[in-house]
Amino acid sequence: MPLPRLLRTATFRLSALYAILFGVCVLLLGAAAFWSTRAALEKQLTRRIEAEMMLLEQEFRTHGIDDLVAQVQQRARVKGTLDYFVVDPAGKRLAGDLPAGSDGLGWVEYDTGPDGAAEPGEENEHVRVLVRQLDGGFRLGVGEDLEQVGELEETLLGILASALGIVLVLGVGGGLLLSAAFLRRVDMITRTADAIIDGDLSRRIERTGAGDDFDHLSATLNAMLDRIEGLMENLRQVSSDIAHDLRTPLSRLRQDLEEAQKRELTAAEFKRVVEGAVAEADVLLETFSALLRIAQIEAGTRRSAFRPVDLSEVLRTVVEAYAPAIEESGRTLRAEIADGVQVNGDRGLLSQLFVNLIENALHHTPAGTAITLQLSRQTAGALAEVADTGPGIPPEERAKVFRRFYRLEHSRTTPGSGLGLSTVAAIVELHHAAIELIDNRPGLRVVIRFPA
Amino acid sequence: MKVLLIEDDVKTAAYVKRGLEEHGHVVDAAANGRDGLFLAAGETYDVMIVDRMLPGLDGLGIVKTARAAGVTTPVLFLTTMAGIEDRVQGLEVGDDYLVKPFAFAELMARINALARRPPIAQVPTVLRVADLEMDLIGRKVRRAGREIDLQAREFRLLEYLMRNAGRVVTRTMLLEHVWEFHFEPRTNIVETHISRLRSKIDRGFEAELLETVRGSGYLLRAPA
Repeated sequence: MPLPRLLRTATFRLSALYAILFGVCVLLLGAAAFWSTRAALEKQLTRRIEAEMMLLEQEFRTHGIDDLVAQVQQRARVKGTLDYFVVDPAGKRLAGDLPAGSDGLGWVEYDTGPDGAAEPGEENEHVRVLVRQLDGGFRLGVGEDLEQVGELEETLLGILASALGIVLVLGVGGGLLLSAAFLRRVDMITRTADAIIDGDLSRRIERTGAGDDFDHLSATLNAMLDRIEGLMENLRQVSSDIAHDLRTPLSRLRQDLEEAQKRELTAAEFKRVVEGAVAEADVLLETFSALLRIAQIEAGTRRSAFRPVDLSEVLRTVVEAYAPAIEESGRTLRAEIADGVQVNGDRGLLSQLFVNLIENALHHTPAGTAITLQLSRQTAGALAEVADTGPGIPPEERAKVFRRFYRLEHSRTTPGSGLGLSTVAAIVELHHAAIELIDNRPGLRVVIRFPA
Repeated sequence: MKVLLIEDDVKTAAYVKRGLEEHGHVVDAAANGRDGLFLAAGETYDVMIVDRMLPGLDGLGIVKTARAAGVTTPVLFLTTMAGIEDRVQGLEVGDDYLVKPFAFAELMARINALARRPPIAQVPTVLRVADLEMDLIGRKVRRAGREIDLQAREFRLLEYLMRNAGRVVTRTMLLEHVWEFHFEPRTNIVETHISRLRSKIDRGFEAELLETVRGSGYLLRAPA
């Protein structure tokens, strides 16, 4: 049932209300016009009668009764003029087509009755007559059929009524048309929303290209949907990655526990199995705490605790902490750290950022790799670089390595959670810094730019 | 040692209590803040282990109340809240902070370190363990009268070990106190530093002072 719905739309209600208001205005305006027109008409008529009376009185005074009778007879013959009567003192009508009526003088109104109708075929006329007493007992009446005024009134009322009708029809019809157009656009949005509710998150609201409010709204809603879809996709990806990545340590843990349970083991064997189980549980716990940590960093609440951090000192501590391990692993570490480089941030997280990058360089490169760490002050902010001469990251993989659990093909077998670079990305983002992975020819160069 | 444990999780409480009792300690356990506060105010303990999240009164609130009532017992907070702010808050009120899940050895090492922490007034200027001597003012280390050249970080590492001489210190404790790393790196960097330090203070001397305690951490002590 489209009509009731159409009538229920906000647009229709508004246009109907508007039409009613407009109708009331037309009515008031019409009434005012009607009354003032009528008043003007009556005034005009009064003047015309008074002028005619003056003229005829003059005629009577100058030329006498016969001339007046002649004048009146001549005028009465012409159709569409005023109505007249002249009566002698005995009350006999000498000229004119009006019945003399009563004996009253001045302005009088009366019905002519069927016999006195001035116009042929008229049943009755309601007339307004100015009656004057003339010298010698004669009476002169000049009047007008009020029917004419009534006709004019009717015409005016008719015009008014049709104007009102047109206004209402246009208002309601326009409202319906507007509502239909409005509904069509709203329906487009509703249909898309329904499809999305049904699970098709890829649906977008069609745009008409008119560049109107609806197009703007649709564009904004579409952008919102894009964002939501991205987040959902990310969430789906992360959840499935978590499930996938945790299955391996969990099943190993289960195997260990099963082994501890089913066979008769020597004390030493039992200890080994349990140690294995504890190690697997530790891997799981570490993964979870890394995930929680990333989530916490991404929440951004730590920015409130930001303070100036001596980045040079942070990097020196990291270098100092890792130099022995790197050297013992057969790799080299070279550091060029400018003094007193400060950034606004979280000291602990900045340490972790560089520890993760150094550890990546340590764990994903062959022995003999040269690792360099540089820190310099820039005109705007600071620039830190961690570079190695290892296998590097293929260009098409560079964006993906920041994803949780993403691991390059050749590093699948090396231990690690696949969360190191995700943590790095979260820390970089928290500090409003920018990270870039560049080909070090050979190897990987990680460039981080801190804002001033 | 007499320990007060305020922990509402029955399993964790039983695990900690049993472990501590196996090591010869006396443990009073309270499952909520009110009972805990009552015990803390009435008895004298060497260490209090307090869960951050308790029904009714928050662990932080309990310790604040106890401190206000004049209880100076060192406090170790146990928590599942691993955030830095949480840790900072905890350390402002308590003395140490351990995030769940934890290894029992870690808990043992930490409460041992807490219980025997010397009062601040008695901070020594020279630390001694057997024939190893550390001059905290002159920043010099000698063993058997022979001067040992240490880098700044090695000095800090040895200082921490000497201050906790006779007690096991864990890898995590060293990361936190020597490098200020409040996270767990994948590389065992502590081990390489310990072995370098060991080569400087122990190599060429008759007795080894710096021991590795398998599965727990490191121990610096005078040979028996």
